[in-house]
Amino acid sequence: MTINAVPDHVPPEMVRDFSLFTSPGMAPTPNGDPHAAVACVHAGPPIFYSPYNTRDGRGTWVITRAADQRRVLQDAETFSSHRSIFSSALGENWPMIPLELDPPAHGVFRSLLNPLLSPKRLVVLEPKVRERAITLILRIAASGTSCDVMKDFAFPFTVSIFLRLLGLPDHRLDTFVGWAKDLLHGDNVKRPAAARTIVAFIDELATKRRKEPVDDFMTFIVQAQVEGRRLTEEEVRGIGVLVFIAGLDTVAAAIGFGLAYLARNIKDQDLLRREPDRIVLAAEELLRAYPSVQIIRVATKDIDFEGAPIRKGDYVSCAAMIANRDPAEFECPNTVDLAREDNRHAAFGFGPHRCLGSHLARREIVIGLEEWLARIPAFRIQNATAPITSGGHLFGIENLILDWS
Amino acid sequence: MRIIVHKAKCQGHARCSAQAPDVFKLDDEGYILPGDIEVAEGEQLLASRGARSCPERALELDPTPAARVVPDAIEPRVWRA
Ligand code: HEM
Ligand code: SF4
Repeated sequence: MTINAVPDHVPPEMVRDFSLFTSPGMAPTPNGDPHAAVACVHAGPPIFYSPYNTRDGRGTWVITRAADQRRVLQDAETFSSHRSIFSSALGENWPMIPLELDPPAHGVFRSLLNPLLSPKRLVVLEPKVRERAITLILRIAASGTSCDVMKDFAFPFTVSIFLRLLGLPDHRLDTFVGWAKDLLHGDNVKRPAAARTIVAFIDELATKRRKEPVDDFMTFIVQAQVEGRRLTEEEVRGIGVLVFIAGLDTVAAAIGFGLAYLARNIKDQDLLRREPDRIVLAAEELLRAYPSVQIIRVATKDIDFEGAPIRKGDYVSCAAMIANRDPAEFECPNTVDLAREDNRHAAFGFGPHRCLGSHLARREIVIGLEEWLARIPAFRIQNATAPITSGGHLFGIENLILDWS
Repeated sequence: MRIIVHKAKCQGHARCSAQAPDVFKLDDEGYILPGDIEVAEGEQLLASRGARSCPERALELDPTPAARVVPDAIEPRVWRA
């Protein structure tokens, strides 16, 4: 772990005892509300320095206003994504693609991948997404009047959609759910082990698809051309690994936090069940109120930002959970209003790295809520249970036991 | 009403076309087509909602197109880039 000393160029008065890892409410907490806990930064300055704000204990500048985050994320020249986080945990050095590339290289791969998950393409993918949701929910409804939404629905749902995307059969579902759990929530032994397993799996799948092409995502990647050449093995791996990890926990967390909110707010739950046309708009508000990602950039040069002396190499945090509670951007930001209009939230980021999977994620969340509300009667959090929430790099919800007896 | 499209700012969120698919047309990657948009009479409400929904602020409302053109001489689509 690096020592979290504050760099000399950071004025002491700009340091705040706040972090998405260590502040109150960030550790795993029964019935916690980590999103509300971070909203308090809006009482303070637009930018400050947090001495311990990454998983490996590094300090970052924290940008609190939505407008400033947009400015940072739209300016990839000054604020770079070049970090190789995943591979450096393995002692290696290759980028996840396109996440850890900067323009112009970023755009080359991004253009290649965009059509695979574009709004148009989603029209084709959507029926499978709905079919998976219905199958899982029917099974839950048939087996009783309670379940753990995370274990029985959210994770199997997102992982199986990922498997479909890769053209893999569902019978390996449990294996993949296990890898994803270990990678995202395991300890220091399980995490790198899971990372290695996933890399080996992606490499092996790529080799298979090179030999025997089929009609799926990985075949497309291994056959694709950029700048007149095939992709290297490392590039194929960088894409495969990213697509594996980007869409599992994020969507599962969104579904979990969303259903937890509805379980605690019966009126809103009834309204969406009676008038399912409202779900599309409601899902945006749930994404605003309960986003999962803290984005980090590295300064490529010295720059003074709203009075803060950001120096080359400094980390800059743009946490969606903070931007989404900015009172300058959202009226009554701490109130969940499922009919909120003009909801330009930051859950999928801004700028060239805007979530490539956002169109798929939105459909998964909306379809998940639609099918759940259509098939499960009035539900609440089961007595004597408490969902455990946590902060950190990815805000999450570990368990959600619902009861509709 | 006209919508000025700052194409370089578009990052393909597709929120505009989710609000008003007939007004905001996207390319195969899911990004807005270049060129400003002249909004037909009946679509103004949806179009302005769509413009306001752009997270990147790539769409700008220009409520006074009349000052720029000879009224009723030019069909709207002619001034699309
Ligand atoms: C609710 C669910 C999701 C949330 C909240 C989310 C959030 C984000 C955010 C904030 C970014 C920007 C990261 C940055 O700028 O550094 C991002 C990028 C990305 N996401 Fe998602 N995501 C979700 C679901 C998905 C899904 C389902 C997929 C894949 C199928 C996916 C694939 C990606 C990829 C490939 C990138 C990198 C894009 C680039 O660098 O150009 N995401 N996501
Ligand atoms: S909402 Fe904005 S960023 Fe998204 S497609 Fe439309 S113009 Fe582009």
